[in-house]
Amino acid sequence: MRAVFASVALLLLAVSPAVSQTSPFDMSPEKPAVPAPAQPTGVAPAQNDSAPIAAAAPQPAASLVRRYIVPFTELVLSGEYSQRSWSLFLTPEQAAAKAELHLVYQNAVVVAPEASRLKISINGSELVDAPIASSENASDISVNIPANLLHAGMNDIAISALQRHRTDCTIESTYELWTQIDTAKTFLSFDGPDAGRWKRVDDLRAIGVDESGATTFNLIVPSMGQTISTSPAVRLGEALALMASMPNQSFDVSETGSSVAKPGMATIVLGPASELSNVLATVPPAAETGPVATLIDDPKLGPSILVVSGPTWQAVDMAIDDIAKQVDRPAGSLRTSLSTRTWRMPDVPLLSSASRLKFSELGMNTLEFSGRRVRTDFAVGVPSDFYANAYGEATILLDAAYSQDVLPGSHIDVYVNDNIAATVPITTSGGEILRHLPIKVTMRHFRPGDNVIALEAVLMTRADAICAPGATAQGGQRFVIFDSSEFAVPDFARVARTPDLAGISGTGFPYNRSEYTLPLIMDRTQPESVSAGVTLLARMSVAAGRLIAVDSLTAATAVADRNALFISAISQVPPTVLAQVGVSNDASSTWGETVASIRPNTEATFDRWRERLRDSGWRGQIGSLQDWLTRTFNISMNSFRIFPGPAAEFTPQGSASLVVAQEASPAGSGTWTLVTAPTVGALRDGVRSLTEQGTWRQMEGHITTVDASDDKVVTVPVTRFNFVETQPFSIWNYRLIVANWLSANALSYAVVLTLLSILLGFATAGLLGALGRRR
Amino acid sequence: MQKFLSVVQWALASVCVLTLVTLPISLETQLVAGMCVLVAMMVLKLVRPDGIWRLVALAFGTAIVMRYVYWRTTSTLPPVNQLENFIPGLMVYLAEMYSVLMLALSLFVVALPLPSRPSRANSGDRMPSVDVFIPTYNEDPDLLANTMAAAKGMDYPADKFNVWLLDDGGTVQKRNSDKIGDANNAERRHAQLQKLSAEMGVNYLTRDRNEHAKAGNLNNGLSKSTGELIAVFDADHAPARDFLKETVGYFDEDPKLFLVQTPHFFLNPDPVERNLRTFEKMPSENEMFYGIIQRGLDKWNAAFFCGSAAVLRRTALAETGGFSGVSITEDCETAVELHARGWHSVYVDKPLIAGLQPATFASFIGQRSRWAQGMMQILRFRFPPLKRGLSIPQRLCYMSSTLFWLFPFPRTIFLIAPLFYLFFDLQIFTASGGEFMAYTLAYMIVNLMMQNYLYGAFRWPWVSELYEYVQTVHLLPAVISVILNPRKPTFKVTAKDESIARSRLSEIGKPFFAIFGVLLAGVAMTVYKVYTEPYKADVTLVVGGWNLLNLIIAGCALGVVSERGERAATRRVKVSRRCDFQVAGKWLQGTIENVSANGARVLVFGAELEDLVIDAKTGIRFKLFSDGTEAVLPVSIRNFERTTDSIAIGCLYLPTEAVHHRLVADLIFANSKQWEQFQLSRRGNPGLLRGTFWFLRLAIYQTYRGLVYFWRDLRGQDNIKPIGQLAEKRQ
Repeated sequence: MRAVFASVALLLLAVSPAVSQTSPFDMSPEKPAVPAPAQPTGVAPAQNDSAPIAAAAPQPAASLVRRYIVPFTELVLSGEYSQRSWSLFLTPEQAAAKAELHLVYQNAVVVAPEASRLKISINGSELVDAPIASSENASDISVNIPANLLHAGMNDIAISALQRHRTDCTIESTYELWTQIDTAKTFLSFDGPDAGRWKRVDDLRAIGVDESGATTFNLIVPSMGQTISTSPAVRLGEALALMASMPNQSFDVSETGSSVAKPGMATIVLGPASELSNVLATVPPAAETGPVATLIDDPKLGPSILVVSGPTWQAVDMAIDDIAKQVDRPAGSLRTSLSTRTWRMPDVPLLSSASRLKFSELGMNTLEFSGRRVRTDFAVGVPSDFYANAYGEATILLDAAYSQDVLPGSHIDVYVNDNIAATVPITTSGGEILRHLPIKVTMRHFRPGDNVIALEAVLMTRADAICAPGATAQGGQRFVIFDSSEFAVPDFARVARTPDLAGISGTGFPYNRSEYTLPLIMDRTQPESVSAGVTLLARMSVAAGRLIAVDSLTAATAVADRNALFISAISQVPPTVLAQVGVSNDASSTWGETVASIRPNTEATFDRWRERLRDSGWRGQIGSLQDWLTRTFNISMNSFRIFPGPAAEFTPQGSASLVVAQEASPAGSGTWTLVTAPTVGALRDGVRSLTEQGTWRQMEGHITTVDASDDKVVTVPVTRFNFVETQPFSIWNYRLIVANWLSANALSYAVVLTLLSILLGFATAGLLGALGRRR
Repeated sequence: MQKFLSVVQWALASVCVLTLVTLPISLETQLVAGMCVLVAMMVLKLVRPDGIWRLVALAFGTAIVMRYVYWRTTSTLPPVNQLENFIPGLMVYLAEMYSVLMLALSLFVVALPLPSRPSRANSGDRMPSVDVFIPTYNEDPDLLANTMAAAKGMDYPADKFNVWLLDDGGTVQKRNSDKIGDANNAERRHAQLQKLSAEMGVNYLTRDRNEHAKAGNLNNGLSKSTGELIAVFDADHAPARDFLKETVGYFDEDPKLFLVQTPHFFLNPDPVERNLRTFEKMPSENEMFYGIIQRGLDKWNAAFFCGSAAVLRRTALAETGGFSGVSITEDCETAVELHARGWHSVYVDKPLIAGLQPATFASFIGQRSRWAQGMMQILRFRFPPLKRGLSIPQRLCYMSSTLFWLFPFPRTIFLIAPLFYLFFDLQIFTASGGEFMAYTLAYMIVNLMMQNYLYGAFRWPWVSELYEYVQTVHLLPAVISVILNPRKPTFKVTAKDESIARSRLSEIGKPFFAIFGVLLAGVAMTVYKVYTEPYKADVTLVVGGWNLLNLIIAGCALGVVSERGERAATRRVKVSRRCDFQVAGKWLQGTIENVSANGARVLVFGAELEDLVIDAKTGIRFKLFSDGTEAVLPVSIRNFERTTDSIAIGCLYLPTEAVHHRLVADLIFANSKQWEQFQLSRRGNPGLLRGTFWFLRLAIYQTYRGLVYFWRDLRGQDNIKPIGQLAEKRQ
């Protein structure tokens, strides 16, 4: 076998001059599953780097405007088939302008160019369909976008890669396939007079992203130090965040601030007209008379500056309301979807009770596939009071088919948020059409908010086992998933818990539904901490899908038993708050000292040693039995506790630069969340890190810490919680709540069952004593 | 009020448990709960297996069973759009639900069996007049003579009871049969029995036509007699002396009482016991019915008439025009009718008759076919669950008794179901290995433990399954036929006096070997599949294990259909009775060690071996239980051997006069205590684990024995003796 591989490799090397590889093939199967894509080294001279950043240029006529299109920090298409789609908002001017698409990518050495295609389509029209042949250097593709293809508003972009290995037909080899899109060099460029400018407030939706997928609002509030300015700043931030709905949004709040005009960044000036003169060269005259929210080109700050102003703060508030009412959602209205369109098509449906959705409604199209391993996904959202993670099971009714080439032993796996949730083995040979095959998917890994459910088919064939030359590229279709498949969720228990940071991450719960304005306690004097506050609340509003009204005037001591959000450097946090949310008081003095990260972590070391020694001897056997139990039944010691002990006080460890801690308020009717960091700088960076899409969705439990330097998230699970009723009383819901609680506390169920059985036994004895003959 | 309160309490507790078990809890919780309940049941079994704690343990089991039913119903059925899986899947599901229903009904019936009633022999009850009916069709006069003698010997004022021999074999219709041979036989029988009856002081009665079989025969007896009470004994059921004394008293206590039923005690093993050699060690199959179920039915006033060994009230029978004869199980049918009219029944848990049961497998199956078909007819024509007049407990009890006989259907399905998967790859049960462990395994163990709780001392583990399986093969067609043609089956008298001279395969045993072969192929297929399709090995192993269980039972059944040759024609009963034995004209002291219907074994002291001659005619002198007089029973010596201080002599009765039958009856049947002792000696709960191991060993040996018989049978070789003897040593 090995010999065959080798000769095939040699043959390929010999016959394909197009591929002049400098590095030899690495045939070792031990290669890491997904190699980190090499950063493209150097910039090809052909690349059009000379286009000036148009927005910055005051004279719009001669400019090319660039819009980066990838809303992610990085985009790697891996495996044999990978597809992403999202929407891009364009202003009418951009839609009308002559546009060109630029794409730079690089791929793994092992991707076979003759059998691999990279495709990009916009609004359903295929613009790029090119072989993937750029393993040596990043290659650049430029395409003119046909006129009338783009339109004002949302434009759908889909990018997909079909990749085949050059020589290897194994499943493992598919993990070696990747194509990385260079986000900094993949963009639309517009050639139009006003393409780089915003004229209406609504045009801010087209803010887009910068080279690394981030979106920054540069919020200039000249009177930031005044208490009255905080709430409007937060409210405006929330409104703008909801408008743009980009995945990685952050706010830089400053008093004077300068504008750096570039893609993915907007500058906003907020305040009463009288205070704007320090910042703006010319204050719009209308601001002197009434509320105004308008875009201006300012000689001092630059073009397309959003000015939100008025003669007084009341007028400014009215101006903000004008923007807010376009994006706000009334408190009572039922939310049916999460707006994710700017980074994931389509908007994710929010399931609040039993539902059945066709794959076609979830944006998954019929997919035919000829390779070995195919992965495709869709997303569904659940509310923050979702409480079925211990017992719940969703069902995929799968319509699919596989050809007679597919051997038994192949399987279809279902992943929920990248955790394996179900496996369907293919057990018959000779091909089969599966019609609404029910696949039970555990809801254990569901989190409030959007959840990605991936289907992965692993297909084995005799041809792959032989792997004749060229076999990797052969095109016979092996597998198909039809979009008539359905995803069904039964009615699930709905009750919220405190603390539960996943609620904030998912839908901004509990702050999304409060009847009163949320006390926001932060240090208003520091721009960093205000930036952190606005960024966080903006992110929470996007999660909530509506504005969260805040009250920044409440003092920490006056919060009493209401919901509250504390955002400060640790030294500013009142000890009572620290104690309430379970963070150690010592943290304020020790945290942030570098020694913390150097001190060896005993627990981690112990775990490492245990891991190393576990497979040896009979103790190893017990260990593997434990593993099996855990795998099969999810049994852990937690299942056997009846009354959880109090959580230990948390002291930030190591390199954690931000701590988010949540706990019920002292009397238990509110929820307090503390966001803190050693310094205000760390607080701003930490919150920015936290609010990035990837990090934000990892926030959960009682405490979450973020390491801003590498976005590493650590969570402390909830040990003790209060239920918070969110639904009107119903027996049915209570039954499900009890089911979930008992499922999470297995021993409690056994105890209750035992007690009730004894009761039934006694009742039966009583009954039998009363009925029938007695002697 | 008290009654209402306890019903409400129970209903509340049930609703709580029901709510809890129908929660959609996670697999891990189910596993933990299942293990906890299992441990609790085991502990209770060891510590307090009776009284209220027995009910608590049963409540534990019920909870797990209900959890299984909930899970099975909500998440294991194959999708409807895969008909090839769904239909067999649904069948298995229904079969399981039937089993659960039967478990529930038996829980109800035997929730709290009535304790045995105290003896009434010396209670000085009024002694009403009794007519004793012995219906006969084709039984041997000798057998009848014993029964009649035993009946005549009952301890009851002679002027208060009449014994009637109701002969259906000598009717006018039979005697005038067109087949001359049959006619002659009937004529001869008629004369012979008439003479015998006259000698024994029994009224001989026959009739013109054989209408309505046994029911008609009994009704003919009713019309010719006048006694206040009717006692019925089958031709081979000889009553003990205290039979009437123990039973008639109840009728004065309760004027609405129509029936006092007593258990059937058998002197000989049924073919299963005989071929497996378990008669001496293990409780008989019918002991579960008479030892527990009838007592349970009695609690709900639903003990029913079993055709013999019972006393009935004439006025009650008169209300329905005598015994009902729509079905071929007239006994149960009569009881349903009278229960529905508000009459009561009583069950006396004390063996007061001793009888014979079919000796060959074929006649055993014939008997069971009659019961099954009769019960199906009752279900069809009387439908107890909806019968007006029955109380709710009675309806449930009769449902339990009649629906039981549907067991061939689920048995067949359980037998075939694993093969669907092994051979045709059908997915009839959608569950993962973990789910199977947490739900099905827990359910199966709990189910076995509950059976053990309910019937432990009366039914050893897996024996029910074996009995059901050996009957299923031939009962399934019988039950199907009666469902299709409910009026077709006719009463067939079960032959009980056959004997098997030499070891052979049962004439209806072939299908068992075929089934065994198929199941064995299933095991081979399991192994093949585990190796060739490792990706679904877990499911294959589970299904294969199920098939293996079927194979073990089917293997044990091979032993059941391999009939052992037997030396003694009838079973010996242990007695210990002083006697004198005549040797060479001298009366020597001795002890009667055991007796059978044909002969006895006597230990004689002071005799010399040289005085004994085979086939010498001599006599045993002993004191009668009945009246305390001494009498001599003529015997011939069949064999003898020296023991440590005496000589054991086997002898054969040579009854020449009617009085000799009385002596034999007095020897065998007079003392009902000895039967009870024998039954008690077999009772004992080996426990689930020990019982399972015992069954496994038995099954392996019987499979081997069955296959050897089969091999011999194929080669046409007759001499199976050696293996039979080997078997005796091994057992």
